Amino acid sequence: MKKLMNSPDAFVDEMLAGLIAAHPSLVQEGRVVRRAGVAKKGKVGIVSGGGSGHLPLFTGYVGDGLLDTCAIGDVFAGPSVDSCIQAIRAADGGAGVLRLYGNYGGDRMNFDLAGEMVEMDGIETTTVRGTDDIASAAPQDNAKRRGVAGIIYAYKIAGAKADTGAGLADVTATAQAAVDACRTIGVALSPCQIPGAAKPTFELGADEIEMGMGIHGEPGIWRDKLRPADEVADEMVRRLLADPVAHKSERVSVLVNSLGATPLEELFIVYRRVAALLKKEGLTIVRPLVGHYVTSMEMAGLSISMIHLDAEREQLLAAPCACPFWRV
Amino acid sequence: MAITTNTLRHAAACAREAAALAQDDLNAADGKIGDGDTGVMLRRLFEAIAAAIPDQETDIGSVFQACAKACASGTGSSLGTLVTVAMMTLAKATKGRSEIGWDELGGLLASVRDQMMARGGAKLGDKTVIDMIDAVTIALDACKTRDEASEAAQHAARETLAAFRDRPNKLGRARMFGERTIGLDDPGMLAFSRLLNAVAA
Repeated sequence: MKKLMNSPDAFVDEMLAGLIAAHPSLVQEGRVVRRAGVAKKGKVGIVSGGGSGHLPLFTGYVGDGLLDTCAIGDVFAGPSVDSCIQAIRAADGGAGVLRLYGNYGGDRMNFDLAGEMVEMDGIETTTVRGTDDIASAAPQDNAKRRGVAGIIYAYKIAGAKADTGAGLADVTATAQAAVDACRTIGVALSPCQIPGAAKPTFELGADEIEMGMGIHGEPGIWRDKLRPADEVADEMVRRLLADPVAHKSERVSVLVNSLGATPLEELFIVYRRVAALLKKEGLTIVRPLVGHYVTSMEMAGLSISMIHLDAEREQLLAAPCACPFWRV
Repeated sequence: MAITTNTLRHAAACAREAAALAQDDLNAADGKIGDGDTGVMLRRLFEAIAAAIPDQETDIGSVFQACAKACASGTGSSLGTLVTVAMMTLAKATKGRSEIGWDELGGLLASVRDQMMARGGAKLGDKTVIDMIDAVTIALDACKTRDEASEAAQHAARETLAAFRDRPNKLGRARMFGERTIGLDDPGMLAFSRLLNAVAA
């Protein structure tokens, strides 16, 4: 697999240097990206983090009304404990910091360790983990589910809530409710490869797809021959609608997300079908998102996320925000 | 002869070399049940550890502390973080000591195992590096010399790798592969075994 890079070991740092050079609203300090300027006094800080290889996730969502800081690791490896500590400290404006990240073992351990360290310095922190991937565990085990593309809704909603001046407990509860109201499923058409690795992360036949595959190539629900887009979309929507959600709503937002190599044209073919299906179900789509929001290097495929909206979530989703990859 | 900081320097150099040599094998093993980067991660981690050990330091706890710091800033993967936890545990347990007897190794490794289980959430039998550390801990219990410890530890690692090969992984990303992990070595176990063989040789 061909990659445009100088060396595998320099991949992440050179990527970050380019991101920062292109976006003066961001500042890089080691493996932490933060908003330019100082942390807003009295505002709850929102910090996230994870492995590289998923841009615009994670560092791409640092900006007004979204994340304050982000710790970033090597490709598909979580951020170091030191980076997590640094990111939490940089996000602290005196009102506490919400750690909002995907539910992966390394990230969990590192953010937990970092939280314990900063709490000794008097910074109050809370945790909300993205657990939206319905293919990764059964509904009764939803705490074990992975966090995938749906986490950006939690970023947006938590970021907007923090901007209202709400306290840490309120921001945390709102973020958790957003996670609880959101479901995602993905489908992969071709693999990705970590820089420096000799082979792709997984193998998938030239005419095969895998339903439910994770953003690092974690196994999904089934693997079979590629089928028409409408058939794939039908199954994904059916699975999303069938998964139990605590507070179902007739108003939802939908994200049709490219995993990297799938072009916008194919995303819109799928969105067209998704919109029709949801309309048929009596659901109204609010602020749909179609594009590259959470990727997996050059993996082909897409994910569909759906978040049920109550009045507050809808209002927070509509609140202004600005980052390199998302503006409202 | 007891374990000193020179023993640790030598071990770190051996581990660095072994991690580099094992990189592709570990990536391949991880690629079957994960994202295929265990080898790259360990190679970078042990390069950082070897480079972090102070030249003149004689306090074993300080050497482990330097290693823990290098790990904490050098990795974010779950296995890498567990190495950090191990180094921190050893640093606390050996602070102020310039020598450790080989008969103390089993007890130290038991503390490492317990701390790693507390942090990572693994249980014995999940088919993770914890199972191997547990087996080596037990094997080291009766050892009083370097030769005894080396032989017992390598034997335990070999036996454990073989014993778990035909069992399924029950934790983390590998858990998702379920029955498909039967017949495969856990990458964390494999990594521990390769590093142990290099250090014990």
